[in-house]
Amino acid sequence: MNRLAEQLAANDMSEFGLHNNNDSAAIAGPSFQLAAGSNPAAFAHHFIDAKSEKDSLIKIAHGTTTLAFKFKDGVIVATDSRATAGNVIASQTVKKVIEINPYLLGTMAGGAADCSFWERVLGMECRLYELRNKKRISVAAASKMLANLVYRYKGMGLSMGTMVAGWDEKGPGLYYVDSEGQRIANDLFSVGSGSTYAYGILDSHYRYDMEVEEALDVARRAIYHATHRDAYSGGIVRMYWVRETGWEAFPLEDVGQLYYRYHPEIQLTNSAESPLTVAPLA
Amino acid sequence: MSIMQYNGSAIVAMAGKDCVAIAADKRLGQRALTVDTDFQKVFPITDRTYVGLPGLATDVKTLYDRFRMRVNLYKHREERTIEPKTFSHLVSHMLYERRFGPYFVEPIIAGLDKNDKPYICGMDLIGCLDFAKDFIVGGTASDNLYGMCESLWEPDLGPNDLFETISQALLAAVDRDALSGWGAVVHIITPEGVITRDIKGRMD
Repeated sequence: MNRLAEQLAANDMSEFGLHNNNDSAAIAGPSFQLAAGSNPAAFAHHFIDAKSEKDSLIKIAHGTTTLAFKFKDGVIVATDSRATAGNVIASQTVKKVIEINPYLLGTMAGGAADCSFWERVLGMECRLYELRNKKRISVAAASKMLANLVYRYKGMGLSMGTMVAGWDEKGPGLYYVDSEGQRIANDLFSVGSGSTYAYGILDSHYRYDMEVEEALDVARRAIYHATHRDAYSGGIVRMYWVRETGWEAFPLEDVGQLYYRYHPEIQLTNSAESPLTVAPLA
Repeated sequence: MSIMQYNGSAIVAMAGKDCVAIAADKRLGQRALTVDTDFQKVFPITDRTYVGLPGLATDVKTLYDRFRMRVNLYKHREERTIEPKTFSHLVSHMLYERRFGPYFVEPIIAGLDKNDKPYICGMDLIGCLDFAKDFIVGGTASDNLYGMCESLWEPDLGPNDLFETISQALLAAVDRDALSGWGAVVHIITPEGVITRDIKGRMD
């Protein structure tokens, strides 16, 4: 089975003096058995519904809302924790921040299995890099490894929109990588079905010069607003701060309670907390 | 996504001892976007009969207006308020009239008849009546609601216990459905009157 990248790439670089060492060529990643037949990708698409469009097909677990931004003291990464399979909420406690190693974080948006699996493969390759080169991998190189890994499967139905955040020699690093082959660097990203709502909050309040407490508050509010408006986001807010010494996780916050915390003025009419009294017939 | 799932809803009615309860979520969505968190889906038809309308929101509003008109006309002609059983048959007929271009709602009716006997029923979008003795569920969270009601419901619950049961069933069901929730309202219909409560739920 010829993968797209192999069909297009010229593999022989020996005329340029570059030989196929283990650590310089494209990393192959694990190999997969494909369905017998001329078009395994179409076979998979026929039975698996990756976009929650048809009720009859197998549903893949999806998220989500994730965001990450650089600021003067590092990178803040925040996500919700809901996974949906079609319209069913499969879980409210998913870990969408994947700890690749103590100084690199990846986020999960799109297909949950795709993100978890490939970011774990990325973690393995980053460790091999460290062993071979006796130094930590840069965020740019790590994100490029991930992008190249999934590019081989372009068009076959992988669904992954991830942000790779870390701290390397150049300072805080943040890249967006997806299964379509995009890999871009920027100071601020939000990915997932709730990303548009998160961008609204982020674009209004983000500044590079924020202090940590303010940055965490902006991230928390952005995730909260996305979970409120987006049906496919919810659960708890997970936040991480990537600093020079590595990443640091923060206590979880339940979005269900955040609503009432941000709206203390909401008084429910005839709230269920008051004793049951009978209203007279008009 | 089917047309019945476009707006999202969760409605349940339960029968108790000399009382009935009907509860609904308050979300109005447009696919993934939540547009309103205070959308009414359960409407009073008379002082002792309520109708819950899960399904496409535009048909919810239109049908409620049509029901109001028909019930008012009934009152003028018959010089008495309509019984819940009669109202169900009226709704069933109105839906079947649109057999080949239906309203995308599956109504749930709950009320007390003239002898204070509890009455609940549901129907599909073309008017097939389902007279249950225990509970009726509808909306995008209906599968979840079936499970919750089957576990929690027991016969002859008083108004307080019925309120607890129906609230727990609804809250747990919508917390597993992406398209419903964002607040809930419960109506308990007793011979002395109707008690309406908003319940505090997750807003995600």
